[in-house]
Amino acid sequence: MLRRAVLQTFRQGLAQSFFKRYAVSLTETTVTHQPIETSNEAGERSVPTQKTGDESRNTVVVAPPEFRFMYPEFLPDPAMETRNRLREKLERMDMLQRRSVIEIPEFYTGSIMAVTVADANSPNKFARFVGICIQRGGSGLRAWFILRNVVDKQGVEILYEMYCPLIQKIEVLRLERRLDESLLYLRDALPEYSTFPLDMEPERRLNNSVVPINPLKVKLRPRPWLERWERQNLQGVEDLNLPQRFYDKAEKVAKPWEKYDLMLHYRKTIPAEEQEKIFAEIHSQLQQQELKRKLRRRRGPDNEQ
Amino acid sequence: MVFHKRRWLVRRLFFNHEQIRTMSRVKRRTTHPPYWHVLKNNQRDDEKISSDNLCFVREVIQDKYKNKSPIKGSDLDIEKTVWDPKTKRSGVIARNIGVQHMWEKDGKKVICTVLHVLDNHVVRYVPPEEYAKSVIGTKMFKNRKPLGCLVVGAEAANPDRFTRQYCSLFDEVGLLPKKRLARFIVTPNAALPPCTPLTAGHFVIGQAVDVYGKTIDYGFQGVVKRWGFKGGPASHGATKFHRRGGTIGTGRDKARVWPGQKMPGHMGSERRFNRGLKIVRINMKYNIIYVKGTVPGPTNSIVQIFDTILPRRRFTEAPPHPTYFPPEDGTLPQEDIWDSSLHVFGSPSISV
Repeated sequence: MLRRAVLQTFRQGLAQSFFKRYAVSLTETTVTHQPIETSNEAGERSVPTQKTGDESRNTVVVAPPEFRFMYPEFLPDPAMETRNRLREKLERMDMLQRRSVIEIPEFYTGSIMAVTVADANSPNKFARFVGICIQRGGSGLRAWFILRNVVDKQGVEILYEMYCPLIQKIEVLRLERRLDESLLYLRDALPEYSTFPLDMEPERRLNNSVVPINPLKVKLRPRPWLERWERQNLQGVEDLNLPQRFYDKAEKVAKPWEKYDLMLHYRKTIPAEEQEKIFAEIHSQLQQQELKRKLRRRRGPDNEQ
Repeated sequence: MVFHKRRWLVRRLFFNHEQIRTMSRVKRRTTHPPYWHVLKNNQRDDEKISSDNLCFVREVIQDKYKNKSPIKGSDLDIEKTVWDPKTKRSGVIARNIGVQHMWEKDGKKVICTVLHVLDNHVVRYVPPEEYAKSVIGTKMFKNRKPLGCLVVGAEAANPDRFTRQYCSLFDEVGLLPKKRLARFIVTPNAALPPCTPLTAGHFVIGQAVDVYGKTIDYGFQGVVKRWGFKGGPASHGATKFHRRGGTIGTGRDKARVWPGQKMPGHMGSERRFNRGLKIVRINMKYNIIYVKGTVPGPTNSIVQIFDTILPRRRFTEAPPHPTYFPPEDGTLPQEDIWDSSLHVFGSPSISV
């Protein structure tokens, strides 16, 4: 302990252990090319790895750039006061452990999902809820998403924590995206836009490499609304048909300079180099888990449980 | 006598000035170091050394600290002492690296603080007779039996950045100078020789610990945040009275502002203990302890961890005494130890 700590910082030691791991996992990259040619029911997507790095050193594995959209909760909270590399690394290890037990599929805001949760108060001890994902957030083990549905003319929203061990199963019934990142306006929309049958079957994807964007424009109920939707630059709602004074006030209050503020966006995101490092670290484990799941599925449902 | 009693009753009914007064007399923080503090950081930052001399300096440092083998329990001469319930063991210096959420076996979520035990080494042991003669010792052990003091250092750093007087504190034992030092009061039977490493294994799963740290520094804060005043109404015609203190005294009783009147001022950066926190998980590989609850101080601040003094949560059986040493036969300890109440992430989902 004392010897190794002499003139080497802990961070250097971490970096060295990263590179050691990739020297070993190089052989795995050649193996992963095979599953692409076979049928993809699970939604195995696009080119898994690209080899970069100089010829003289060990080549470094880089995860595909889609990972930051597929697994956004692996990126830590950008606020610098609370960041610590060691704790984030330990949290990622715990997240991968949980993912080895339960499949947390790729989903986006606007996807229709079904979640089965252990519930002591339910008749058969499990509660299943189907809904459209209207928002997702959090980072690490605190990652959450909200599902919305209208049951018996009553709008119901449930917040699920993705890594809670009470969750038995997360299924994505329809994988698609919408025009907005947050669909909170569905609370003020007509109920048919939030209604989904509770016994909905999972739909087959037509094209496995691209997640379709649903260009649906939602009709809102007449005012009053929960939020001032005219100020939020929503793409997924129909023309609001408000009197001109609303739009004038919205212009007065708007901050059009924010899209030019580089430092603001820098502080809100994790730098690209760090993102690459993080996803490269978890990439091989996630791929192994995918492979195992595919094999289990191919063997058949009677082999499971 | 009767006069004082009536005044005391009146005060009891209206406003308890006594309590505020005692708290205001306590000096809560100083910014200057104590008189016995050795100047720590090297002041000669802009000294122009040639690159050859710089290499030579580095070589000298490496030679000085190179030829030491890792310390095993058998190498140190530790007396075989027996643990008894009145033993006070050493504590440990750690860094609060943040908060992680974990779940118990019934699905309840708990907030756990992650503490990274730094590379602690014992620097010196001061026996009770000698410590009782020091300035702090005389104050601490005025009417008590004196106890020994263990000086522990953490976070080894390049000797270049420290002064010679500071490095000399570590030279006698042959340790690299440490960035942090702490004193732990121990009973003589828990004394440790210099150069003993202290790791996360020093603690036991399920034990209660006290964590000492400096609270978050909020700076100069107003009365609403600092003392929890309600302020004034936000609307209804209130002119310039939204977050102010209001009245600061009466006209009759004592006719002046009492010392200790709650007012805006510096908030935070105070030494506090959070007592009785349970250890729910230990990671021996990275030297990490997860405690249930929160500790004083912001993320990435240094804290000290001790065995708890709370009487009902003390040890009933012997912990690693005087500290933990990895087994002599080279078998590695279990890397990740979990408390029985926690749900392990790799295990199947909970079904109630």
